[in-house]
Amino acid sequence: MSELKEQLKAQIIEQLNLENLTPADIKNDMPLFGEELGLDSIDALEFIVLLEQNYGLKITNPSEGKDIFFSVDSLAAFIEKNKA
Amino acid sequence: MYYIHAISSISHQQTFDLEFIHNDLQKLTPESPLLVPEFIDILPPTALRRLSAILKISLTTALKCLNESAFDGIVVGTGLGCLQDTEKFLVTINNTTSDVLSPTAFIQSTHNTIGGQISLFLKNHAYNMTHTQNALSFEISLLDGITLLNEGKNNILVGAADEKIPFLELLNEDLIKTDYPFTSIATFFNLKKEKSDRNVLVKDVLVLANSKKDINEVILRFLEKNQCDPTNLTKVYHSDLEISLSTEKVNYLDFTGYNYAASALAFHIGVSELSEIPGTILIVNSLVKKDLGLILIERC
Repeated sequence: MSELKEQLKAQIIEQLNLENLTPADIKNDMPLFGEELGLDSIDALEFIVLLEQNYGLKITNPSEGKDIFFSVDSLAAFIEKNKA
Repeated sequence: MYYIHAISSISHQQTFDLEFIHNDLQKLTPESPLLVPEFIDILPPTALRRLSAILKISLTTALKCLNESAFDGIVVGTGLGCLQDTEKFLVTINNTTSDVLSPTAFIQSTHNTIGGQISLFLKNHAYNMTHTQNALSFEISLLDGITLLNEGKNNILVGAADEKIPFLELLNEDLIKTDYPFTSIATFFNLKKEKSDRNVLVKDVLVLANSKKDINEVILRFLEKNQCDPTNLTKVYHSDLEISLSTEKVNYLDFTGYNYAASALAFHIGVSELSEIPGTILIVNSLVKKDLGLILIERC
């Protein structure tokens, strides 16, 4: 699980072009859409692409997105729960 | 009359944040870099990581033209639009095996992203128009800005931007065929009916598309219409053309490079020159053959 979280952090940095951050700057329970990272709705779309391209997972219910994308912890839990 | 207030450019010359840009122009080479300010001091973090080069330089120069009141119109000319994002999006389509695509490059690949980003950043809901007419995009935008002033608006942001990407070098072998280096340029300025401190005005603009008319004859008629004796012209800036006037002539492509917004930077150079010394300057743009743009600027 911790390996998955580190991988996710690297993918988030690359996909969202967060060049000034390192994986160590993103804490597992840090709210991704809070003030610290300053992500917005376009970044949420990028997360959907990230999940599908890297893990083959689709968000079927858009209302779940807010909970799934809350933190690296919640993203990793969603991937673990739904992986084939 | 249509007066030029704040004006700003980012280019491969020292043009940003300078009151006068015409004194230190250097002949460009393919190695001349784009001279950008520290964007981190100007743009928010989201813009820094998401916007491509053309969007950053356009937004930065547009912000330099802000005044105390909101713009009544934002008019942008761009011949090729956001090339970097367009290329990125097309390459992703070509290479991906997934049925979803990253949205950012797609959203930012359209020509009107430049005007849209300026509008979003300023929270400006006024008239917002993008003109894309090859190398005449700037002249058409200027005409649109003048039309808005004639319709009663009075605080218009007008500008032009185009960017270079390495792919243009490939096109140059067979399609573009220019000896001038490709460049990136953004020029924006504030156009009003009220006089400005610099007191430089746009006297007239003429655009001819797909024309077979003789450029020198068109120029003479344009000057005649504006009651401007050719011998009284201070200077003619042109896009590597044979101009028959005896006035001092400068090929602005030496300083702007090959770019569809080159005449916008030449316009800024002319405005800078007139801000220092009164006179009349003609800008002749026929970068794309058969197309002609004439801009007459003056300071009395």
